Amino acid sequence: MIANLIVGGLAAGCLYAMVGIAIVIVLNITDIANFAQGEMAMVTTFFAYWLMDGVGLAWWQAVSIAIVFGLVQGIVIQQVVIRPLIGGPVLSAIIATLGLNVVLNSLAGLIWGHQTYTFPSPFAFSPPFLIGGVHVSVDSVVNIAVGLVIIICMTLFLRFTWTGLSLRAASQNQTVARLMGVSITKSSAIAWGLGGLVGGIAGILVAPSLFLDTNLMSALLIKAFAGGVLGGLNSLIGVFFGCLALGVAENLTGAYLSPSFADAITFIIIIAVLTLRPEGIFGRVKVRKA
Amino acid sequence: MTRLVIEDVSVDFGGIHALKDVTFSLESGSIVGLIGPNGAGKSTLLNCISGITRPTRGRVQLDGTVLSAMSSAAVARHGIGRVFQHPELVGDLSVHDNLLIACHRSLDYGLVSELLRLPTVRQQERAAADKVASVLSRLGIADSAGTSVRSLPYGHRKLLDLGRALLMDIRFLLLDEPIAGLNDSEIARLGEILLGLRQEFGLGILVVEHNMPFVSRLCDRLVVLDLGQLIANGPPAAVLSDARVMSSYLGEVADA
Amino acid sequence: MSAAADIIRVPKAPTSAGWGAALVALGLLLACAAPLGLNGYGLYLLTLTEIFALVALGLNLLTGYAGQISLCHASFFGVGAYATAILTQKAGLPYLLSLVAGALFTTAIGALVALPALRLKNIYLAIATLGFGVVLQKIIFEWRSLTGGGGGLALTAPHIAGYELGATGLYYLTLAFLTVGLFGAWNVSRGRTGRALLVIKESEIAAGSLGINAARYKVTAFAFSAFYAAIAGGLFAYLVRYINPESFSVGLSISFLSMMVIGGLGTIGGSILGAVFYVIVPELLRGIKDAPGLVFGLLLVTVMVFMPQGLWGMVRRLARRSAR
Repeated sequence: MIANLIVGGLAAGCLYAMVGIAIVIVLNITDIANFAQGEMAMVTTFFAYWLMDGVGLAWWQAVSIAIVFGLVQGIVIQQVVIRPLIGGPVLSAIIATLGLNVVLNSLAGLIWGHQTYTFPSPFAFSPPFLIGGVHVSVDSVVNIAVGLVIIICMTLFLRFTWTGLSLRAASQNQTVARLMGVSITKSSAIAWGLGGLVGGIAGILVAPSLFLDTNLMSALLIKAFAGGVLGGLNSLIGVFFGCLALGVAENLTGAYLSPSFADAITFIIIIAVLTLRPEGIFGRVKVRKA
Repeated sequence: MTRLVIEDVSVDFGGIHALKDVTFSLESGSIVGLIGPNGAGKSTLLNCISGITRPTRGRVQLDGTVLSAMSSAAVARHGIGRVFQHPELVGDLSVHDNLLIACHRSLDYGLVSELLRLPTVRQQERAAADKVASVLSRLGIADSAGTSVRSLPYGHRKLLDLGRALLMDIRFLLLDEPIAGLNDSEIARLGEILLGLRQEFGLGILVVEHNMPFVSRLCDRLVVLDLGQLIANGPPAAVLSDARVMSSYLGEVADA
Repeated sequence: MSAAADIIRVPKAPTSAGWGAALVALGLLLACAAPLGLNGYGLYLLTLTEIFALVALGLNLLTGYAGQISLCHASFFGVGAYATAILTQKAGLPYLLSLVAGALFTTAIGALVALPALRLKNIYLAIATLGFGVVLQKIIFEWRSLTGGGGGLALTAPHIAGYELGATGLYYLTLAFLTVGLFGAWNVSRGRTGRALLVIKESEIAAGSLGINAARYKVTAFAFSAFYAAIAGGLFAYLVRYINPESFSVGLSISFLSMMVIGGLGTIGGSILGAVFYVIVPELLRGIKDAPGLVFGLLLVTVMVFMPQGLWGMVRRLARRSAR
């Protein structure tokens, strides 16, 4: 019984982790917490749905195109909204992304309405795996696998490619990076593009389980931030494990205490972590020399 | 006479020893220069005195009161003023209002009085405004009173920071590279202002600077730091001809 | 962020603060006469505007002056609403007393919330306050015996000194609170507290070197803004006569923030303009379903990118240009 809860929690946590990874990529490289990340992912997912439903493409085709759309969406938003705010007060950027959140949500509502759609998954009809006596759906396994793959790819990219190196330089010290020939706006655009891409993947993987509507990602966004805070917002591995832990904690609380508390546990965890160890479990304190 | 004593102060940042057993004292009415090559720990020492950094070992004492255990706000309230290398002024406010903030400690009305803007509030605000006006004229920037800080030339920003410290009823003043970025006439004026402050109020002044002529003309004593350690403490002439001091700045002393 | 638009003035020369204050005074005068010209719905809208203006005035001190972002003020608004409602309906206390008592209770909560938030900035502060907001909302939802839970509370008309407070009565009560609140907020903004908050926003190190205890002032700002939000909530409860936890969600907190930013963060005129805007725009767009959200979101983004001083900032700039 408890094994089921844990596996279920891990699967849920994985969904949060996908959004969390997108947030952390953008946060670490551009220092902006993208509160619109969820809505961006939702729009990408709706686009994929339209490609399948309206245009008639197969899942793989639609998803591939949609992922590119997510990348482009991220870059466009960065160029139009974020670039003018680079170097300004952080409060402005936070408020701008909050505004963006509302814009994207309303836009999606205007275009696609407020009904709930069923988003197909190629694994929907595959039989679940049986691991140690627990049924694990193929969807969950795919989610965890994709999550890990994304983290590994991102880590390799940031550490072993020139572009990745310049992105890390830009996030550490903009002035020095500029002197080394790194374009801050280009790094910022790449970061946001990657965030949009990963977010899009997250939305597409999440939609089959949670059903597609305009509120698909809003609850996830908060959980993603919570998991990120728990694990450490400046660490990809941190956000991944933090979100998994959060999913498990929620499931266990829901079963053993009460379902309504499951929701509150998210926030009690956030507050406790922020009070006691703001940098999270795996995080490092970023020291800025004034 | 009051005395600020820095006693065996050491600061470790992780593996880095920023300061090691630094000991010296500063009396009211004297001007001491703190010099040394880059990275010697001068700003760290100022931060220890101001209460921004807590020393790993050792203490900072003001006439027996231990300052090093206090918050920076409490240290400021004990009469230690600080002028920063990069003044952080409130950009949206005018010069006058930036200085008004520094009168904070001298205003003692409560929140309720403030909400109702009782006569005592108006009275105290007017008194504070007068104090600000007098500091502005002492510093020679009275005509910039209404300008927004954003449009202020660099030299004036530094003077403003000094003005803030002066409005706080201080006994000791710490200055971190005050003449960086100033032209010759501004440097001369600052020197005069500091001498005037010593004369009129008996302030004890600790100046971190790289400009040797400025520092040797202004200071009664020089204290030299190198790699976190105090290597000399004495009158300018003696210190500046000390071989250890020269080699710390220049590396190996070439054979003459 | 134009924090001190109200304070920039040369001593002895009452310039920009002068005409801004005159404008607000004129607005208040007109507001007094409003019930004579407006129908029931118009009066409702105006009362609502004044309620939101009260929230914005308080929140302005926290976010505009002290630079602390808060996503839990909808909960303070809600706690004020529920506290007032419960004290009046269930404990039978006189309405005015419940209003103030409820607000003081909420203020205490605001101060408590501030404590763990003292060490946090920006994104972490936003998330922490968001967390507090959700927890408070949950508590209201779960404590069914006291608050009626998800079903909400239906309220009967309040009374002052035996007289029933109808729409007009509640309007004037709200206006009275708004006037007093306006006066208080203005005084604090130009007093030592307002200035201390501005320094804290700019640099906590600079604040420390000036002897200003940043922690104490941040808690004060939280408490102050919670008080304003709670009074507004208590008035709101009896304007709409039915409250439920759903109305006091994070979305509303974001709306409060939007209101202030669009109006002009850090200015008193901006708080009022923002509230006016917030009530009027959905009215104008009532036909189209998602339009208000879209307009608000777009405005928020546009203001942040192109006119960080907000609408009030634009008004001032036009006034300055025409004065030349």
